[in-house]
Amino acid sequence: MRWLLLSLALQNLGRRKARSLLLIAAVALGSGVVFTGAVLMQSIDRSMAVGFTRLGADMMVVPEGALTNIAASLLVVEPSELVLDADVLAKARITSLGRIAAQKIVRVEHSGIGSHHESADLVGFEPAQDFTVQPWLVEKLNRPLQAGDVILGAARDGVLGSQLLIFGKPHVVYGRLGRTGVGTHERGVFMSFATLEALREAIGGHGTKPAVLAPGKVTGFLAELAPGATPLQARFAILSNVKGVKVVAGDTTLSGIRQGLAALLDGILALMVLMFASMALMVSVLFSAIVTERRSELGLLKAIGARRGQVLGVMVTEAVLATGIGGILGVVLGVLVMRLFERSLVYYLENVGVPFLWIDLPRTVAFAVGAIVLASVIGVLGVLYPAWRASRRDAYDLVRSGA
Amino acid sequence: MLSCRALRKSYVTERGEVLAVGGIDLDVEAGRYAAIIGRSGSGKSSLMAMVGGLSRPSDGSVVIDGTDIWGLSDDKLAAFRNRRLGFVFQFASLLPTLRLVDNVALPALLGKRGDADIYGKAAMLLGRMGLGDHLDAYPGECSAGEQRRAAIARALINDPVLLLADEPTSDLDEQTEIEIMDELLAVNRELGTTLVLVTHNLALAEQAEQIVHIAGGTIAP
Repeated sequence: MRWLLLSLALQNLGRRKARSLLLIAAVALGSGVVFTGAVLMQSIDRSMAVGFTRLGADMMVVPEGALTNIAASLLVVEPSELVLDADVLAKARITSLGRIAAQKIVRVEHSGIGSHHESADLVGFEPAQDFTVQPWLVEKLNRPLQAGDVILGAARDGVLGSQLLIFGKPHVVYGRLGRTGVGTHERGVFMSFATLEALREAIGGHGTKPAVLAPGKVTGFLAELAPGATPLQARFAILSNVKGVKVVAGDTTLSGIRQGLAALLDGILALMVLMFASMALMVSVLFSAIVTERRSELGLLKAIGARRGQVLGVMVTEAVLATGIGGILGVVLGVLVMRLFERSLVYYLENVGVPFLWIDLPRTVAFAVGAIVLASVIGVLGVLYPAWRASRRDAYDLVRSGA
Repeated sequence: MLSCRALRKSYVTERGEVLAVGGIDLDVEAGRYAAIIGRSGSGKSSLMAMVGGLSRPSDGSVVIDGTDIWGLSDDKLAAFRNRRLGFVFQFASLLPTLRLVDNVALPALLGKRGDADIYGKAAMLLGRMGLGDHLDAYPGECSAGEQRRAAIARALINDPVLLLADEPTSDLDEQTEIEIMDELLAVNRELGTTLVLVTHNLALAEQAEQIVHIAGGTIAP
């Protein structure tokens, strides 16, 4: 029986080929836009998340006398003999700050890194809280960062997974950072606090040990603004609550761009919802006409004993078939559009150094399935009311009105 | 077998209420052939639709084989129509996208009859109607007479107790009309199925065991 209803629905679609094809094409366009839009929005969102993180912190908090490079495009903590307590910002509870990443930086010589007399900046960070170093990883080992691992700045040579001796102690090259254009960052050797503190005895020989290597001390902090907070508010809050620090703000246009792009994505989402709603209305109007045209047939079905559910089933099957096929074609269309997008705009963006990160395959497949299901749901919603109304009418009325 | 009491049907139109059937009492005994005759617009088809469970009466009752059909729920009425009644319309009433054999089998498939070879029976019925070589044909490929015979086969697929035919030959030529009437009468006589036929052809009605003359929505004396 199910096959017969399915066959009935398929053949009904075939009866009006032009109309069915137009309906399928309209649904394909709609679901294609929804699918492509969803994947692109998520990918843009993901790229933005990485991109903006790569743009670095909004502000930097360092000891009052520390040198800072305010001309750099990326806020980076410079090596300094001055230190801060690692918990100084946490204790101050600055609500206008979001994520905070502490760093320890020691400039060392004769460390075994690079040529004999070359100085190197050893940068310690807390992997769990860091948002300024790891986003720049362009290659890394396929495992989490662990004690004894180092990450090389873009200007340093080293094969991934190879051994690097620092003051004679073996370390593993875990990853490599991308180019930032900021010397300190590009020449740095990055490692966890634990790894850096393990080098404390070796650094400085028998002389004075850098103060920052002491547990609980850091060179400075890189911080993000809390949502809605302004750099001025944060600066005021920090300087009022923490003594002996200097606050350096980054380019404030960055947070403006971040908020603007987020609003733009919200706007695109709203447009997609509107388009989805208008597609649902169009399908509903079309199926109202189809049900009206097929009243005689529905009346006949009722007359020979079809229950209301079966009458509804015939129409819903037809609608789901049409819109489901439309949904599948929409996904195919979307994939083609995205391939085109990848070969043009994404290729261009990556050539100029702007990363574009597609969402992973399982999520893409989930969006594809979602678009097809959504298209089918539109079909069901579109046909349900007119079919329900028709199914309530007397069989004789339906037969007469359609005859 | 069939008992109608005070059966009434009115339609609400823009010009007000139109009375199609105005309180009809009708009894037809089991196995009989009853003809309902009357002029166009006399209310014959409206009466037939109420008797066949296709159009809800404004008032009155229809009892078939002891069941007050308009007291049933929608789904139970559908099941009753499916299992107990056969209906032949006055126009081509086959689903155009299904083969003749599918059209004939459809009521049994809708009724989820799992006790028999539905397609075998559909083929047998089509064979009986002289359409044994048209099983896979689509309605559009058949003549009006062939389509009407297929509709009769469809009406018989569930072994109905009551076969209702609403002017089943009105648009057919004389020879085909005779063939169709022969088929209907054969069903009545050989299977013992009660037959109620609406017609304005007095010659067809004369063969009936009971003639009901409708005029102005009521039974004329």
